[in-house]
Amino acid sequence: MRVLVVEDERDLADAIARGLRREGYAVDVSHAGDDALVKASAYPYDLVCLDLNLPGLDGREVCRRIRAQERRDGEAQPRILMLTARGGLNDRVEGLDDGADDYLVKPFELSELAARARALLRRPGEPANGQLRVGELELDPARHIATVGSTPLSLTPKEFSLLRYFMLRPGDALSEFELLTHVWDENANPLTRTVRVTVMTLRRKLAAAIAGAEQPIQTVPGVGYRLRADV
Amino acid sequence: MIPAPLRSARARLTILYSTLLFALAALVVGGLYLSLSLSLRDEPISQGAAIRATVPVNDGGEEVERTFVEAASFERRVNEHTLRNLRRFSVGALTGLFLISLAVGWVIAGRVLAPIARITAVAQEIQASELSRRIGLLGPDDELRRLADTFDSMLARLDEAFASQRRFVADASHELRTPLAIIQANLELALSEAAPSDASRAEAAVVIERALRRMTRLTDDLLALARLESPEIARETFPAHVLLEESRTEFASAAAAREIELESVAPAELELHGDREALRRALANLLDNALRYAPEGSRVTLSAASAGAGASITVADEGPGLDDMDRNRVFDRFWRADGSRDRNGGGSGLGLAIVKRIAEAHGGSVAVRSQPGAGATFAIELPLAKPEPRAA
Repeated sequence: MRVLVVEDERDLADAIARGLRREGYAVDVSHAGDDALVKASAYPYDLVCLDLNLPGLDGREVCRRIRAQERRDGEAQPRILMLTARGGLNDRVEGLDDGADDYLVKPFELSELAARARALLRRPGEPANGQLRVGELELDPARHIATVGSTPLSLTPKEFSLLRYFMLRPGDALSEFELLTHVWDENANPLTRTVRVTVMTLRRKLAAAIAGAEQPIQTVPGVGYRLRADV
Repeated sequence: MIPAPLRSARARLTILYSTLLFALAALVVGGLYLSLSLSLRDEPISQGAAIRATVPVNDGGEEVERTFVEAASFERRVNEHTLRNLRRFSVGALTGLFLISLAVGWVIAGRVLAPIARITAVAQEIQASELSRRIGLLGPDDELRRLADTFDSMLARLDEAFASQRRFVADASHELRTPLAIIQANLELALSEAAPSDASRAEAAVVIERALRRMTRLTDDLLALARLESPEIARETFPAHVLLEESRTEFASAAAAREIELESVAPAELELHGDREALRRALANLLDNALRYAPEGSRVTLSAASAGAGASITVADEGPGLDDMDRNRVFDRFWRADGSRDRNGGGSGLGLAIVKRIAEAHGGSVAVRSQPGAGATFAIELPLAKPEPRAA
C-alpha cells in the first residue's frame, strides 16, 4: 500500500511518514502542492494524506486536480485523507465536496490517522480491523503481527508490507512493477533487484515457518508472483 | 413606591396627559362657572323693572305707599337653580372628559411607544453570539427611528468587532494546532517504540523542542498584540540615534552570523517621541524579518530621518522583495511570504501586524516599498511630538 503525505510542515510530515511506514505502508513525502501533483501523476498511490493549508497551490486545489487526473492501466483513484488545522463545519464540508474521502483535524493522534488510513483502504468484504487471512496465513497490520498456522513470522517492515499486499490480492498474478509501485516508495531504485530480493527473503521465512509444506508464493513465469489462494 | 402597573411609561404618559387635560378643562369650566355665577349674583335684572305698585294700605286711615320686589327673589332662585345645574353638568362633563382622555391617552401613548417596544423586543432577542440581527425600524425619520438606527449601527460595529475577534482566535488556534500536532505525533512515535534508540529519542526531543519554541514565540506575540489593544502608551522624548544604535547592537551578532552588513544612520539632533520599548520592539520585528529574507553578504540599513511634520524610521534590505499582492497582505496577521515557509525557522506570522499596531498606537503608520527582486523597505512614520499635557 503506497501513501503520499503532502504537508508543508517538515517536522509533521516526517512524523506522519514514520508512523505510516511503521504500519507497513510505502510512504512518499511532498512539501508543496505542485510537487504533490507531479508525484500523484507519476505513482499509483492508494492513499494521499493531504494538508489543506499548503504554500502555492492549496490543498483543496490539489485535491480537485488529483481527482481530475487520469489513472493509467485502470488503477483505482487514490483515497484522499484531508489534514487540516481548521475544524469548522464549512471547512469539513468543502473539503469533502472537493473530493476528499475523510477529514482529520490537527492535532491528531497517529494511531487515529493509521486507523482512518486502514478504514479508507479497506476493501469490500475485508474485516473491519484490517486483519487478513489467507488459508494458514494471518496478518494484523495494526499490531504488525504475521503468523502462519500458529507460528509467528519475524518479518522486516518491507517483507511485512509485501506479504500484506500479496494477501490483499490472493490468487492474482502480480508483476514486479506493480509490487514495486505499491509496496516501495519513491526511494526504491527500479533498476536494482530489490523486489526479487525481498520476495526471496519472504519466501525463505515462510518456508522455514511452514516446514516442508508447499511454498505459498509462487513464481508465475513471464509475469511475476502469485500468492496461492489455498495455502 | 410606584405600583407595578403604573411603572410603564405608557401608563404614566396616559395619566399625565389625562390629568393635564382634566386640569385645563376644570380651569376653563371653573372660570366659566365663576364668571357666570358672579354675573348672576349682581343686582337682579328685575330690580330695575321691579313692580312698583302702590297699594293702599289702610293704616289707621292713612295711606302708605309700599314697594314689592317679589320677582327678584323669584329670579334669584331661578339663578341658583341654573348654577346648581351648571355645576352638576360641569362635574359630569369633566369626569367624562377625564375618562375619555384616559382611553385616548392610552391608545396614543401606545402608538407612540410601539417602536420602543419593538426595539426592546429585538434587543432582548439578540445574544452576544448572534449579532447579525438588526432592529430595522421603518417609518418616518423621527427620534425613535434615529434611536433604532443608532442601535443598528452600534450592533454592526459590535458584530464587526466580535467577528474580527473570532477570526483572530480561529487564526491563533490554527497556528497553535500545527506545532501541537508535531509534538503529539513525535511523542506518540517515541513512546510507541518498543526499544527506542538514543538517536531516535534525541531526534524526537529536537523536533519537539523546536515546536515548543515556536509556540512560545507565538504566544508571546499574541500577548504583545493583546497588550497593544489598550489605548494608553507611554510617551517620552529621546534621541533617534540612540534607539537605532540599541537595535543595531541587538541584532549585530545575528547579522554577523549570516555575513550581513547591518548599519544604522540617524541625524544626531533628531528626536523621537513615543513608547521607547514599543518602538524598539517594532524595529526588532522589522530587523528580524529583514535578516531572515536578506541574502548572505547583503546589506540591511536602519535609518531615521525627519519627514514632513514627523519622523520616519526605515529598515531596508536587499532581499527578494515583494510583489503587488504580497505587499497588500504583508501586514495581515499570520501571513507569511511563500517560499519562506520553513516555518520552524520563521516567525509567528504576527511580527508585522505588531509593527503596524505599534505605529498606529503612536498615531503614525507603517508602509512598505518593494519590488520583486529589488529588496524591501519598511518605513514607520511617526507624527511630531505633541506638547506634553501639563500637570495641574
